[in-house]
Amino acid sequence: MIADRIIEQGTLITDGTRVSVEVRIPWYRALPGSCIAGAALSIDGVEAPAATLRWGMNGRTFTFDELVGETGEWWFPTDSAVLSGDLVVAADAAEHEVRVDLTLYIPYIIIGDDETLHIEEHDVKTMPAREAVAA
Amino acid sequence: MTALGTPIQGVTLYSFTRAFHGREYDLEGLIRKVAADGYGPGLEIIGFSSFRGFPEIDDRFAGEFRDLVDEVGLVTTSLAVNADIGIHRDRLLDQDELIEYMTRQIQAAAKLGFPIARVQISITPDSMERLAPIAERHGVTLALEVHADQYASHPRILALRDRYERVGSPFLGFTADWGATVSGFAPSLLEAYRRRGASEELLSRVVALWDEFSEQGPPADQADHGQRFGRFIGLAAQNGRPDLGIDFAINGTGLFGPARVDDWLEIMPWIKHVHGKFFGIDEHGEEPSVPVRDLIGLLVRNGYSGAVSSEYEGWHWNNWQSPFEIIAAEQAVQRSAAQNAGSRMITDAAEARAALANHLPHALMKETNA
Repeated sequence: MIADRIIEQGTLITDGTRVSVEVRIPWYRALPGSCIAGAALSIDGVEAPAATLRWGMNGRTFTFDELVGETGEWWFPTDSAVLSGDLVVAADAAEHEVRVDLTLYIPYIIIGDDETLHIEEHDVKTMPAREAVAA
Repeated sequence: MTALGTPIQGVTLYSFTRAFHGREYDLEGLIRKVAADGYGPGLEIIGFSSFRGFPEIDDRFAGEFRDLVDEVGLVTTSLAVNADIGIHRDRLLDQDELIEYMTRQIQAAAKLGFPIARVQISITPDSMERLAPIAERHGVTLALEVHADQYASHPRILALRDRYERVGSPFLGFTADWGATVSGFAPSLLEAYRRRGASEELLSRVVALWDEFSEQGPPADQADHGQRFGRFIGLAAQNGRPDLGIDFAINGTGLFGPARVDDWLEIMPWIKHVHGKFFGIDEHGEEPSVPVRDLIGLLVRNGYSGAVSSEYEGWHWNNWQSPFEIIAAEQAVQRSAAQNAGSRMITDAAEARAALANHLPHALMKETNA
């Protein structure tokens, strides 16, 4: 659909041990956390360990296990979520290839007796990493 | 003899998804543009796309929204709502939960001033029957969307129609989506595949496969639909582009439905709203794969004076042209077709309000409704 917009250009941030990038929904309508079924984040071909991935949305941070039951927080079409994970990347002028994979459930499209349609989308963009600023 | 209809021109903001999602326009800015550039007066919105926190709508926001629509001279027609039956990862909503989920959205439609709520095929005849008194209480007509791969004479749609007839509520009807009655594989999508490196030979085979299905008529049932879906996937694989298979199949069966235009006559009295689904405009200013002129002619001859929301779907793949000019051109085709049929499209807001009230005479059209 609009997978070319998943990664927000220029939003790669590193603190030396973790990286984060802002991501946009590749769908036309809001979806609840429960429909954000999975993600992968890799920089220059190195994937962040799945257990270290976190999803930031509406000012809250979730593990993907926590998203399973989350029907209160929604990903709105014009909002950026933040995907982060453990990866060592230096904050310098070097360009990095960022890849994000997303799996989303589309809750109103039922394709089998008990099966909801899911879509798998990905995006790749190149950008430098900025240093995280302490809050 | 039925008096000629005067359909109300309008648009769904879904047509501008790329501009809204890309933050070129916020909701207010987009509504103002729709009014200023003459895409109205009919205004359709998808609740979960445009309203943050939907279906919760607070009083202040609802008031501001209604004031804005009035100020710019638009007329709210349909609020597109969703039956998110699969919202929980581990199970589907049961019927009681679904009724409660839909009720909240019907309440939102009333509060925002939409006389129609577009619902989708996953709502069964039993659920529609249970929702009828709720729709009536809120003065909102439920118009279930007939969308490819279904079509008016599809068994599931006829089952709904028969239930509507038995229930006898004027608050139950259909939204006719023109994607069910398409006349060809959209050239703009072929161009998108071309830009993704698909060969002319492969594209001609895609067109030939769609034409073959079109000659056979729409799929008889879900099994037939599934077979066609599989044929598109197979075609892509056999021609060295398996990566395009799902895309061919989803679009070839789910967007371009091959029913004939007069298939709509099966449900015409129950058509409360229309999605003027289309995919592009060619160098002659015509829609090359949706028979817009025939469809408008059919509506006019059958006395339809409800709204037609231009629903541009080409934005999924067409990232090289602005949607705004394309939608304006499609609406020009609609107006021309209505004139050729001896009538016209309504483009004045006051006249549209009166026509809609006449089209939905049962609706309470409440000014405020929590």
